[in-house]
Amino acid sequence: MSQHDHGHPHAEIGHSERPGYYDIMETAVRELLIERRLLGADEIRRQIEVLDSRTPALGAKVVARAWVDPAFRARLLANGRTACEELGITFYDDTQLIVLENTDTVHNLIVCTLCSCYPRPVLGLPPDWYKLKPYRARAVSEPRVVLAEFGTHIPDNIEVRVSDSTAFVRYLVLPKRPDGTDDYSEEQLAALVTRDAMIGVIPVSIGSSQ
Amino acid sequence: MTETKHLLNHLPNDIGGLPADPIQRTDHELEPWEKRCHALADVLDFHKIINTEEKRRGVEALGAEMVGKLSYYERWIAAFANILFQKSILTPSELARKMDEVAARWENDGTERSP
Repeated sequence: MSQHDHGHPHAEIGHSERPGYYDIMETAVRELLIERRLLGADEIRRQIEVLDSRTPALGAKVVARAWVDPAFRARLLANGRTACEELGITFYDDTQLIVLENTDTVHNLIVCTLCSCYPRPVLGLPPDWYKLKPYRARAVSEPRVVLAEFGTHIPDNIEVRVSDSTAFVRYLVLPKRPDGTDDYSEEQLAALVTRDAMIGVIPVSIGSSQ
Repeated sequence: MTETKHLLNHLPNDIGGLPADPIQRTDHELEPWEKRCHALADVLDFHKIINTEEKRRGVEALGAEMVGKLSYYERWIAAFANILFQKSILTPSELARKMDEVAARWENDGTERSP
């Protein structure tokens, strides 16, 4: 049985190396369920393609649209899921999406203290640090210290709000549009928006890019 | 008397607010089996065989030692196996036999393919 710490990057495994215990277990569970016709092999393949198609670029497109289109922004804040669906982003699960807007007075941060709930349809899979104890444990009790570890210093007069995700309700941060971007096109704006900014751990800045 | 209270109030997954180390901005590209495991989780959820809440409870039920020592997707697949046993969809012996079969198949393929 593997004894390494959870979430740490595994050693590179070449194709010729013997599959590990859990790799074999995954294959065995999947094959048994397919043999029982409880699920189809094509469903797994299709879902892998869906997972591969989800990247933070989708979320960035949503954010940029919200910055340039106030009516869309209003719809996005009213119902994150249906507004994303307007842009052709399908939700492959039963989750609802609440979009949290950063303003001059409020900075939002998202976390899942229990596990790893995350707005996967619009951001893809979460980074390892989002799933590990330090972020999950501390984001709710000392968010300003956590933000500072990401290099983000929030002045005391700005409220920090932390939203804890659940199996059914996921959050996405709508970051503030950076100053000096009045002449940017929607595509140029989207290129500035990073995954971490949509988690809320860093702001969007003109120097940042995906 | 109260020294075990936290064990009841906070199950292994429930770590919000606990003291913890500084954030290390770690990430890794998923291994092929990890991605398959994720897709399997989604498909199990689509079919309502194991939903997200059951998955989380299944990981919690592994207990603190396994939650601490297994990697993220190792916990998932271990939890799926247990949940499928509890629901009488699979039995432990069926899974053990299938795992032997998969391992043996790989050994055979591996020998054939190695230079």
